[in-house]
Amino acid sequence: MDGIHDLGGKQGYGPIDVDDSGTPFHHDWEAREWGIAQSARTPGITIDWWRHCRELIAPEDYLARPYFDSWAQTDFSTYIEAGWMTLEDIGKTDAMQNNSVDDALPAALTLEQVLQEDRRHAYRFDAEVDAEPLFVAGQQVQTERHGHVGHTRLPQYARGRRGTIQACHGAHVFPDLSAQGVEVHQYCYSVMFTADELWVEAEGSRDKVYLDLWESYLSIIENEHQR
Amino acid sequence: MSSKFDAPKVAEIHQHLHSHLPSESALRVKALETLLVDKGLVNPQTIDAWIEAYTDQIGPKRGARVVAKAWTDSAYKKRLLQDAPAAIDELGYLGKATAHLKVVENSDRVHNLVVCTLCSCYPFSILGIAPAWYKAAAYRSRAVREPRAVLAEFGVDIDDDVEVRVWDSTAELRYLVLPQCPPGAAGMSEEDLAALVTRNSMIGTDRNLG
Repeated sequence: MDGIHDLGGKQGYGPIDVDDSGTPFHHDWEAREWGIAQSARTPGITIDWWRHCRELIAPEDYLARPYFDSWAQTDFSTYIEAGWMTLEDIGKTDAMQNNSVDDALPAALTLEQVLQEDRRHAYRFDAEVDAEPLFVAGQQVQTERHGHVGHTRLPQYARGRRGTIQACHGAHVFPDLSAQGVEVHQYCYSVMFTADELWVEAEGSRDKVYLDLWESYLSIIENEHQR
Repeated sequence: MSSKFDAPKVAEIHQHLHSHLPSESALRVKALETLLVDKGLVNPQTIDAWIEAYTDQIGPKRGARVVAKAWTDSAYKKRLLQDAPAAIDELGYLGKATAHLKVVENSDRVHNLVVCTLCSCYPFSILGIAPAWYKAAAYRSRAVREPRAVLAEFGVDIDDDVEVRVWDSTAELRYLVLPQCPPGAAGMSEEDLAALVTRNSMIGTDRNLG
């Protein structure tokens, strides 16, 4: 979707607040949200569906709310959509004492168990597929000119642009369909774009931007004499 | 009860949440945790353990050790550049968001910078929680378009003859910058070298270490 999340190359966001204390969390609620996001996931959820739910936050909230606050809202939306809770429940939290007996809760994980769990979260997204990759390193490709209504990982700034295949990463879960709960693997490539292909003001620049893009985002550029 | 992948419904839910949720972030997260616990879906002690893991155990010190080891052990560096997930697994650091890790190496002629323009993808199990600026609109919008101006704001000036390579994390690959070893590091221990490696140097917003 052409949403507010697609920030690459957008202008007017001002200087970067480069100061950072180095502490992982700046408020208790940020830490709580991090822990919630790691330990409460609806069955069958995919990373791409979660990302799409974050993209669907209204632009004014997306830009104005603190980062982990937007995670909380994303979690709320996935839990409500999946039927874990309702909008009406939110108004009732003041009355909840959370004094449920411990055996009604999932078993508490210890630090050691959570560290194990983190290792288990080294999810792989690649798989063997029957087809051969369409492109090889060094080939010139052109990206799709348009996005679509749903989730996609081809940013607006790199649409309708010419790039060079650097490497094939193998077949990875295709995010556009994964966000709809459909798991299909498609070849994914490292594609290099020169800065002046992307940005009008970058003429003469030696800089490069590399994106990881799926095969269906790309088409081959025929040599001039073949046209 | 599982996801139906109903995007229009989620857009509608967000509109409701805009008006139903408390305005303070702390209260919003509190409401979320209260509901999850009330419904028996989450144990608050597990949340505590995740916070402890990413406060005390998992953070940029891991990445710094990987970098220092690559500086002092050329065979390790070769493995790291070839197959980063396997190389960090040697140190027990393979984990969240690093199964498709790729290491990009700085040189006298190349400087690498990592961003995620579409969300905030980050190699959690070796760098921990991303700094606030990495997740902010200013960095996400500008890093791909004016990387040299961005770097200057971090106090990093890049010579004209150095090529800047920006890596936009659009897929499940995650990037770790291998900074250059500082001059005068010869003979230093891996541990002392690791202390010179800044988190920002592994994202690319720092260059000359030591």
